[in-house]
Amino acid sequence: MAGDSLSFCYVSLIILTSLVSAALGAPTPDFVTEVRPIFERHCLNCHGPDRQKSGYRLDVREIALKGGDKEERPILPHDSKRSPLIRYVSGDDVEMSMPPLKSKSPPLTRAEVATLRAWIDAGAAWPESANAKVIAPLDWWSLKPVAKPTVPVGGQNPIDAFISQKLAEKHLKLSPQAEARTLCRRLYFDLIGLPPSPQEMDQFEQSLVQDSTAYEKLVDKLLASPRYGERWARYWLDLVHYGDTHGYDKDKPRPNAWPYRDYVIRALNEDKPYARFVQEQLAGDVLFPNTRDGIEGLGFIAAGPWDFIGHAEVSESKVDGKIARHLDRDDMVGNAIGTFCSTTIQCAQCHNHKFDPISQEDYYCLQAVFAALDRTDRKYYRDDSLNARFQELNRRQTETDTALAVIDEQLKAKAGKRYIALSKMIDAASKTPSQTQELAHERESMLLSFADDSVKKKRVDLKLEKTRIDTELHKLPAPSLVYAGGVHTGNGAFAGTGANGGKPRPIYLLARGQVTLPGKEVHPGAISALSFAPGRFSLPPAADESERRAALARWVTDEHNPLTWRSIVNRVWQYHFGRGLVSTSNDFGRMGAMPTHAELLDWLAVDFRENGGSLKRLHKQIVMSLTYQQSSAGNPKAELMDTSNTLLWRQNRRKLEAEALHDAVLAVSGALDLTMGGPGWQDFVLEHPEHSPHYEYDKADPRDAKTWRRSIYRFIVRSQMQPFMTALDCADPSMRVDKRNESISPAQALALLNNGFMVTQSVEFATRAEREFGPSLPAQVDGAFRLALGRSPSSVERDRLNLFAREQGMPNLCRVLFNLNEFIFVD
Amino acid sequence: MHNDSPFHRPDARSAINRREFLWQSGGGLGGIALAAMLGLEASAAEPGVRHPASVYPAKAKRVIQLFMSGAASHIDLWDYKPDLIKYHGKPSDFGEPVEAFQDGLGPWLKPIWDFKPYGQSGKMISDVVAPLGACVDDMAFIHNVVGKTGIHSQGTLLQATGFQLPGFPGTGCWASYALGSLNENLPTFVVLPDHRGFGSNGMKNWDSAFLPSQHSGSIIYPGSDTPVADLQRHRSAKYITPASEAAAQKLMNTLNLEHAATREGDPRLESRIRSYELAAKMQLAAPEALDLKAEPAHILKLYGLERGPQSWPAEINAEEETFYFSQKCLAARRLLERGVRFVQIWSGNDNGFPRRNWDSHEDIERDHGPLARGMARGTAALIQDLKQRGMLDDTLILWTTEFGRMPSTQGGKGRDHNPYVFTNWMCGGGIKGGVTVGESDHWGYKPADRSSSTLVYDIHATMLRLLGIEHTKLTWRHNGIDRRLTDVHGHVIDALIA
Repeated sequence: MAGDSLSFCYVSLIILTSLVSAALGAPTPDFVTEVRPIFERHCLNCHGPDRQKSGYRLDVREIALKGGDKEERPILPHDSKRSPLIRYVSGDDVEMSMPPLKSKSPPLTRAEVATLRAWIDAGAAWPESANAKVIAPLDWWSLKPVAKPTVPVGGQNPIDAFISQKLAEKHLKLSPQAEARTLCRRLYFDLIGLPPSPQEMDQFEQSLVQDSTAYEKLVDKLLASPRYGERWARYWLDLVHYGDTHGYDKDKPRPNAWPYRDYVIRALNEDKPYARFVQEQLAGDVLFPNTRDGIEGLGFIAAGPWDFIGHAEVSESKVDGKIARHLDRDDMVGNAIGTFCSTTIQCAQCHNHKFDPISQEDYYCLQAVFAALDRTDRKYYRDDSLNARFQELNRRQTETDTALAVIDEQLKAKAGKRYIALSKMIDAASKTPSQTQELAHERESMLLSFADDSVKKKRVDLKLEKTRIDTELHKLPAPSLVYAGGVHTGNGAFAGTGANGGKPRPIYLLARGQVTLPGKEVHPGAISALSFAPGRFSLPPAADESERRAALARWVTDEHNPLTWRSIVNRVWQYHFGRGLVSTSNDFGRMGAMPTHAELLDWLAVDFRENGGSLKRLHKQIVMSLTYQQSSAGNPKAELMDTSNTLLWRQNRRKLEAEALHDAVLAVSGALDLTMGGPGWQDFVLEHPEHSPHYEYDKADPRDAKTWRRSIYRFIVRSQMQPFMTALDCADPSMRVDKRNESISPAQALALLNNGFMVTQSVEFATRAEREFGPSLPAQVDGAFRLALGRSPSSVERDRLNLFAREQGMPNLCRVLFNLNEFIFVD
Repeated sequence: MHNDSPFHRPDARSAINRREFLWQSGGGLGGIALAAMLGLEASAAEPGVRHPASVYPAKAKRVIQLFMSGAASHIDLWDYKPDLIKYHGKPSDFGEPVEAFQDGLGPWLKPIWDFKPYGQSGKMISDVVAPLGACVDDMAFIHNVVGKTGIHSQGTLLQATGFQLPGFPGTGCWASYALGSLNENLPTFVVLPDHRGFGSNGMKNWDSAFLPSQHSGSIIYPGSDTPVADLQRHRSAKYITPASEAAAQKLMNTLNLEHAATREGDPRLESRIRSYELAAKMQLAAPEALDLKAEPAHILKLYGLERGPQSWPAEINAEEETFYFSQKCLAARRLLERGVRFVQIWSGNDNGFPRRNWDSHEDIERDHGPLARGMARGTAALIQDLKQRGMLDDTLILWTTEFGRMPSTQGGKGRDHNPYVFTNWMCGGGIKGGVTVGESDHWGYKPADRSSSTLVYDIHATMLRLLGIEHTKLTWRHNGIDRRLTDVHGHVIDALIA
């Protein structure tokens, strides 16, 4: 029942740092090392953090001593003889034998009972550090309703007001605004992931002098650029662990994954309201029927890895098949709740969440949401009207099939044994088609002999309708495909639920997460402790599976959901500043970090929600702030007060991520091909595709201009990650990545120096310099320097560069420029 | 000075103290640069910079993990089952319903090769791995290892990372994270893949996942034209010469120093400068380490490498397997000598056809024969070589595979997957030689004692213990959980420890 899981309390387990030694005279059993293990072994299952039968628990001292619902004190210090607990666990009290005889927990040994006796007789010492605390489950910042706080006085932009207030508490203030060129380069890389051209730099610098709105104009221009969606989609694809292959064994390509990637880019460029963006990804097919985005968005559900062998070669009736499908749904649940709600839901797979108010039942209710689904290619049309027609025909086809099936089932029941006998004969004759056909005819007429005229007519009409639908479907152009979450209809081991009309698989609460230990069946729902909406979805029993996802989508995007709105504004903040207001952006739970600016976070969340969930508006709000525009220069005094700059007394210098660096190299070399969308470009040679594909990067030619597109369009392989991008810390497509690793290593230096991509683009860059700046070497050197770094070299630099270029040639000089810290970092 | 950039991943919040922060920021190669940033110019090998989980005296300093991809048959190599000989050809009866991966359980199938006793321990091993007979008194066998599924991908991940699904660091990554580097010119964790390509899951088996990326396994292909990716300029870039390279390093250094001088308080800038110096050192160190020709003739002969590469027949054959496997074993020894902590050697490519790994559904003799002969020759040479150098004492060797194979046929000459029981063995590095811990039942179908089996967590816990690490303390917080190699399980197998 929905409420049951709420009845338990939550404890925060205190991690022990020291052991209490109790070596005073006679050996008094130590609570931590001797007594508590006994409770853990025999009692805590039913009287512990997860469950408190009779309201009693043996992990919280006060309750352990005082008792639960019963009017007695189970433990009487210094008096084990009269302590009821001893009577129960020793088996002396046959009626109240503990653990109960039928329970899975073993009875206590004599030695264990003796230990408990000795402990009680010595006074039942229970150190505070080993005492679990009962905490109100919702007493945690991220679970409280979001309210819009009052903006502090000072600062035009509310962001600056909140930030300055916190800084002032430490006697700090914002750093001065960065200079024009720094701002320009910062904005370009941040918003579109590409460097400004030297002309754009010059222009901005000049206009900033005369026009107070020049900065805002640049922001607007960049946010309106299609390059913006290409830049920011990458963050989203990190979160949802998007890839173009399945991963696991064999790691087959997913040729139809990319429409989802393009959908994300388009959604961002169109500034799709966030709620709709979320809804399309969970249930676009039902909430926005017949739209292209409503289908392509469902690529979200299928974005993560998929165990091909576990599905295609092992049926659901086997244990291994059940495990594979359980893990598959686990990934879907983790993706949905982790991405949208920054909650570590998967911790509740084997037991109730140890730290957050998520019951194991909640977790399986979420699995039930996805219970009908598999990862599969979905047919659709990009044209909405064609799509409407297609979906309508599909609907009619299903209806007709169902109606026919109902009639046939009735007739089969009437025919009884004769039908079964004929069917067996047909199976037996499966190798001789002519005979099979004959028998099938015989079975058909036999069935019809049980039908009266009206049934016969109805059956004929339905068959005609079926033919009509088929003809109509054939008239449509070939549909597009997107790899997405959907009802799969297949053969063999990977049958899916299609043959069942997409009926969801029953989902059981699995003891310890084991598919071999199913408990009660559960129904679709979400986190029941949150009170803004019912934690169990009320759906009619016959509801289509898609209603389950629609219910989840509504739950996630409910305006009172305390997690969703905080989660997204925090993520956006993190990408702009390098750290979220909550630094653990995938974990808003008790194991995560506290917000550094809780009020600002809430203010942003509500403001974002109230203004249509516009991400572009949020970006603008952030980058227009003085906080964002600060210089990134150091300040010894501030460093002393706030070493890691959590209060934002300066902007953080950023090291370009793999994609930004890759794209910047192409942009500077002049080779960048800005073609948008479509199947991913491949910088590997595919070998052995028939069985287990090998993705051979080393065999590809880095001079192939087809691979000179933006990295968002790269074909992403899971088992053999692209070595160059991996050296630059690109996201692992098998993990949901909320924040990139940032490493500096010799291997990275070697990749930037020697990888085929880099050495090829150095040549391209040199060719461009000659093309654009003429035959004079100093002009080429100057021009190349400006292209790469956005400024002219100083005279000392100029001399050094020219000397080098004369001796080693322009390609070598261009290679040096690509490897400079000034190129790789953005102030 | 602190690394104060929030773009830098490690989160000080979850670090318990400065020492742990250093480790969370990454021991190992990248960690050196970081150690420099933190004003701790200490090498990881020095005392005082130990990971907080290093609470025991370390018996082993280094690890070699041998991974047989495709599932090597315990009953044809290590786990002698006379009853299979006695009942060979009789219909199999497991006494309970069995769910096999490819169904079709044929008659009992005796071991393809004879078994003979070796050494003082008298351990029975198969003729196909006979060279290891000379080593059995240094080896400890665990015959009751059980897996969780019979699916290659999940089974491989479980043995390689301790989890059934991708996204968790490999064993070597954890060792690298815990122990750091002994040599800043070489990676801490090296992977020597099968020369034909990766097994199930590819890099996911040795990826650092949520640990800092310098703990990822670095792939090396000994004997190939480009043994280390990007170590030297790409073959197309003829314009890069030793002279241009030296001048480029100098120019970059000058410009980078000037750039950093105006940007105080960002140690990453200095780290990057240093990373180029280290890269240049690595360019010298790696080829030297991989120069197998520098080995004397008797060593090459020990490994069966005296003849060098040949043109091999198209069919899988023992000579070719020996060459490639031994080459990796010898390279591993040279790498370990130079301070690499953890080397993972793979035998077997993916599960494709013709079979090029241990997944012998069709014919054990055809695939296991050459693979096992090659593996045994190289491994025996490695053990003996380490021993004669006194390195076996503190080098732990672990042999594993994703699961075992069934004691019955599948109808033909092959065997189906057996995740219910299989064999691991360990050697050197504090391991008690000549012992067998844990038996399988008389068919080799399940553990003899079904209430007590060995799990991968136990193997990993034991490995970490020998490295001086308490496996429950070696953690990294990721998405709200303090992750461990051993998840929430693992018991050190004391009977294995000398």
